[in-house]
Amino acid sequence: MAEIAEHAHARLSIRPSAWRELIRKEDWWAIWIGLRLVAVAIALFANGGSIKWIAVAPQKWSHLANAAAQLQTHGAQYAALCVLWAASLGIGAAALGIKLSRFLPAFLALYVVAGAIYFLGLWDQAAHYNLEPPLVALGLGLLISNTVGAPRWLEPGLRVEFYIKTGIVLLGAGLPLTLIAWAGPVAIVQAAIVSLVTFGVIYFSAVRLGLDRRLAATLGTGGAVCGVSGAIAIGGAVGAKKEQVSVAISLVVVWAIVMIFVLPLVARSLHLSTGVAGAWIGTSEFADAAGLAAAQTYGGYAGNVPGIAGNADAAVSAFTLMKVIGRDVWIGVWAFVLSLIATTRWERTGVQNKPEAGEIWRRFPKFVLGFLVASAVITIVSKGYDYAAYKRVVLPGLVAPLQALRTWAFTFAFLSIGLTTKFREFASVGARPFYAFTIGVVVNVLLGFVLSTQVFSEFWNRLGQ
Amino acid sequence: MSSVRAHSCVDCRHFNGRPLDVEQALPGLSSLSSAYAAVRSGDGICAVHDRYVAASSVCAGYTNLP
Repeated sequence: MAEIAEHAHARLSIRPSAWRELIRKEDWWAIWIGLRLVAVAIALFANGGSIKWIAVAPQKWSHLANAAAQLQTHGAQYAALCVLWAASLGIGAAALGIKLSRFLPAFLALYVVAGAIYFLGLWDQAAHYNLEPPLVALGLGLLISNTVGAPRWLEPGLRVEFYIKTGIVLLGAGLPLTLIAWAGPVAIVQAAIVSLVTFGVIYFSAVRLGLDRRLAATLGTGGAVCGVSGAIAIGGAVGAKKEQVSVAISLVVVWAIVMIFVLPLVARSLHLSTGVAGAWIGTSEFADAAGLAAAQTYGGYAGNVPGIAGNADAAVSAFTLMKVIGRDVWIGVWAFVLSLIATTRWERTGVQNKPEAGEIWRRFPKFVLGFLVASAVITIVSKGYDYAAYKRVVLPGLVAPLQALRTWAFTFAFLSIGLTTKFREFASVGARPFYAFTIGVVVNVLLGFVLSTQVFSEFWNRLGQ
Repeated sequence: MSSVRAHSCVDCRHFNGRPLDVEQALPGLSSLSSAYAAVRSGDGICAVHDRYVAASSVCAGYTNLP
């Protein structure tokens, strides 16, 4: 990296500007894309129409001939949807600085494979063979990237966070604001308990093992707040060494991927309801994309695996409340506080930061605003309908098509996780960072389990009903 | 955003905050996050100290862009 900075004489950074952020950060593009889709859906719905023609999704099938017939019947819709996504995401990618001519072919390939995985997940035997779309997308991507390797031309289209944030904004359209207001405070309390305890365990374990405090803090927020995003936010705020940030990223990614498979498996064996499992995953997974893969997998068990109560959407809803509302939104506060401590209490590094309260807003994950706005707008639109009319009119005409678009966005993200995760490129982490982080993982998972299944279980079960 | 001071890292020739370069320098970053994320703010890599630092940071090794 030193070479990258030194060899070029061109400017390698852009002076931050509040206005420039609106077009240079993917959080804002996720908002623009997600809310535009919601606005178009509402406009059509208000005039007696719907976006459901273009928001096409596979239906249950039992034989390949059924799936082929679906494709034949709806081929034009799938092509139109591809154009819609390519145009929407392509404009955003171009604004971020990714060449459109490189993004579009990569995205087209991603769309085709994601579509095949989406179809596979609707096979009536999929649950029996554990072929849940998130797990298939992740497993296939990991297999390719760690064996033959994903082709270079595909890389510009593998934007995990861009897709997952767009999906989360669309997810807001399926969660009434009243539900967020009801469940949000409990999610914040549960998440606060787990975040503070996990951070403390990782930080003090790391310091006790003789690790640098900046590495300890970067590891701690990676495990306790928002995974890789937490690690880079705190790494920058405290001025960690580049290799320390790399170590934290490697540990978070490896453990997050392990948890995508382990948490749904354990929850399934214990027959946890979808709401409780979603809350546990939201408390104990490290990254949004990884957690949504686990939560969507678990939601897919509802109605397909005997003994699992709750509706399918409850797992993703509980996860989102816990992770996004309970944990993610506080990253700016963590950054400000740790930056202040690093500057005033820890040993000098030669680079001096100036902590400011403005850091809280600068690092705020702005896509959460899009999620809340989508929720508020759909809540207002649905206000005049009673429950029966909502199920008969609003759900199929407005909400379900937006949920289908959300599933597409998430599938792009899950496939991209696997295809971008190359274990051989990860930093060598060393034993002491591994022990410190792993102790935190164990505490995080156990505490999250107790809080979700014992202390707040009644609450999360009600969410699933 | 106006808090970035004169002679801070963002204007230094040793500082690299370009998202694609940051992702290349930190393997795994794009797997579960992104250098385009708001949480990264304007952070980048200092080639002199080999640290990941905030754009508003300052140090004695500041060098103007050519």
